Amino acid sequence: MGFGDLKSASGLRVLNDFLADRSYIEGYVPSQADIAVFEAIASPPPADLFHALRWYNHIKSYEKQKASLPGVKKALGKYGPADVEDTTGAATDSKDDDDIDLFGSDDEEESEEAKKLREERLAQYESKKSKKPAVVAKSSILLDVKPWDDETDMAKLEECVRSIQADGLVWGSSKLVPVGYGIKKLQIQCVVEDDKVGTDMLEERITAFEDYVQSMDVAAFNKI
Amino acid sequence: GAAELELLERLLGLPAGNKYGVQGERKVPVLQTNNGPGLTGLMTIAAHLVRQAKKDQLLGSTAEEKAVVQQWLEYRVTRVNGGSSKEDTRLILKDLNMHLEDKVYLAGNIFTLADILMYYGLHHIMVDLTVQEKEKYLNVSRWFNHIQHYPGVRQHLSNVIFIKNRLYTNAH
Repeated sequence: MGFGDLKSASGLRVLNDFLADRSYIEGYVPSQADIAVFEAIASPPPADLFHALRWYNHIKSYEKQKASLPGVKKALGKYGPADVEDTTGAATDSKDDDDIDLFGSDDEEESEEAKKLREERLAQYESKKSKKPAVVAKSSILLDVKPWDDETDMAKLEECVRSIQADGLVWGSSKLVPVGYGIKKLQIQCVVEDDKVGTDMLEERITAFEDYVQSMDVAAFNKI
Repeated sequence: GAAELELLERLLGLPAGNKYGVQGERKVPVLQTNNGPGLTGLMTIAAHLVRQAKKDQLLGSTAEEKAVVQQWLEYRVTRVNGGSSKEDTRLILKDLNMHLEDKVYLAGNIFTLADILMYYGLHHIMVDLTVQEKEKYLNVSRWFNHIQHYPGVRQHLSNVIFIKNRLYTNAH
């Protein structure tokens, strides 16, 4: 059982195949099973995995009611196609960074001790997880802000840009890049939460500083 | 036609007792009312029953949802009826399969009258599909399987089987 690593493309593909002929992870109504899997996925599945994306958007619409959905959240290894090997299983392989064994393997016979150990670790994982903040989709954007001419006070321009505050916006490092004729543009990095801040809003607010800013462009945009 | 409306009544929890008749060659259902000529038309009577049962959300909540529900009700009444030819059936399944690719229900994320009437309308088609056809119209199969499990919908209609392990296709 399990989908493999849901943060990887291969895990998402398993999920996608699983959902081709199902509306929900378990049964015919949304349940904690869907929430468990939904929360394990970092960001919306790509458009080519359209079954997973359909399911994702549908479960997202239940965001507000998720606590009241039926069922009990189980470990991710308990959901999914029965014939997929639970690659996140206990076993003796060392995992990457997680030293917590997330998914006990169902297949092998468990001795009492192994079962107790697994349960202990599950409890540890749950408490560790509940302390971690939810994963939020973020992007790293590099902006080019151009002044009117070479006499524009670039220090003041930078100050204006950095003065823009918003929930989900964090300014990063910046530098001045010469573009010719003595004019320098301000290249500044920022990290935004996709749900809260968009480039349109940034452009609006930056170009509002009409005295200093002639225009703003997005030089680079990367999902993180 | 009339049989569907009786199923719908039960699904909605309405007391039985409405009298249905049929009109004309195309067997359009008619609801006899106490006064006046009665209500004619599947869509019309169905919407009336939904409102009688005070389950208006089944007709959609936002303006857009209501429009989509109407769209599929209209589709159901004009395209899906007992006398569809093989070619018509193929087109219907193709249309629905495309529409349902990114939606759980016909109207998107909510269960509506469109799903109910489309289910009743398609039942006789789905019952006769081969395994290969059910796989071909994968999204319709998924949706149909989901709706037939929705509490109160299927009633005495036969359960259409959908095999979980896909035999014919590996990737899409």
